[in-house]
Amino acid sequence: MGTLRPRYANLLLLIGLVLTSSLAPASSLSVTVNDVECVYEYVLYEGDTVSGNFVVVDHDIFWSSDHPGIDFTVTSPAGNVVQTLKGTSGDKFEFKAPRSGMYKFCFHNPYSTPETVSFYIHAGHIPTEHDLAKDEHLDPINVKIAELRESLESVTLEQKYLKARDSRHRHTNESTRKRVIYYTVAEYLLLACVSTLQVVYIRRLFSKSVGYNRV
Amino acid sequence: MLVVCMWKVVNCMRFDIESGHSKCITEDIKINAMTVGKYSLVNPKEGYPMPDDYKLTVKVNSPQGHNYHHSDHVDSGNFAFTAAESGDYLACFYAPELRPPRTLVIDFDWRTGVAAKDWSSVAKKGSIDAMEVELKKLLDKVASIHEEMFYLREREEEMQKLNRSTNSKMGTFSFLSLLICLSVAGLQFWHLKSFFERKKLL
Repeated sequence: MGTLRPRYANLLLLIGLVLTSSLAPASSLSVTVNDVECVYEYVLYEGDTVSGNFVVVDHDIFWSSDHPGIDFTVTSPAGNVVQTLKGTSGDKFEFKAPRSGMYKFCFHNPYSTPETVSFYIHAGHIPTEHDLAKDEHLDPINVKIAELRESLESVTLEQKYLKARDSRHRHTNESTRKRVIYYTVAEYLLLACVSTLQVVYIRRLFSKSVGYNRV
Repeated sequence: MLVVCMWKVVNCMRFDIESGHSKCITEDIKINAMTVGKYSLVNPKEGYPMPDDYKLTVKVNSPQGHNYHHSDHVDSGNFAFTAAESGDYLACFYAPELRPPRTLVIDFDWRTGVAAKDWSSVAKKGSIDAMEVELKKLLDKVASIHEEMFYLREREEEMQKLNRSTNSKMGTFSFLSLLICLSVAGLQFWHLKSFFERKKLL
């Protein structure tokens, strides 16, 4: 079957509404990034606002320090980079799509420890006067509905961000708790060991079998 | 051939799998939520028929390991089920070994809950106009936002409990640490004293 790549986690896919021309595509997912992971999203109209966020949810790290962060790049269908965020453990982004087409959202992990990235993207379209003039089925009220939908989507965006951040916070807390317990117990054992060794050593110093009496 | 991402101009996710590798996608689904998934291979050469060996195997499993969907050597498909348990559902895609090794591009659309509802049938059933359907969708969306807020609130409360318990555990452990330190020192002192008294050095 081939090697099993590291798992994605938590794909939450939200698909936009279909019936009118004011579509609101969105997608959210969690990806385990070993090196580079890319996701493609199709943006339908030029001028659409593409907004999103991503959060790095650390894996269970016990011995080492927290991951320094990953790089995020957005590439337009023409091939030029629209946005870049470097060395961050989670951020929001927003840009106006210069043209319609397939946009590439890439995560790059510069370090060897795999990281799970949970992210959410939304490309929203609000019909303009131009669209209204072109399509006689479109009512001005559709603009208002589209605006309302976009606001709701932005609320959903925030919620997903909060959820991902909460998840990461939880990982940190659980890891702290585990570390506290294990390190403390290890400390006790070490202390007991060291003091026993001390006593044994001192006894040896004073025992007659050493051959000479140093005191 | 079902072309998922161009179907009704709905957006969805597209990702690559190298031949011989696999990718698994997990979705956190709540109990009794409806979920619908569609996947298809993207033709690498537009206008030409899809190569015969361009196939993949798909498995969808529940967090407990029950299999909800399994298809071998297909280039597109879909699945739908109602979640019997809450948790992380896994959809795994396996790309077979290809000679020469190539990358398969897959369009995947997985919706749960509100987004999985079939709005065209709702529109037909009630014979209501497009605007009303839009507003109904918005209403559903608001309800789901509300539920999500409750969920976030619960999670935050769990986390607070966890933090408080860690805090109290740390307090106990620090105190215990001090006790152990003192008792170990005391034991050492007592033992060495009795040892030296026995050796008639003190």
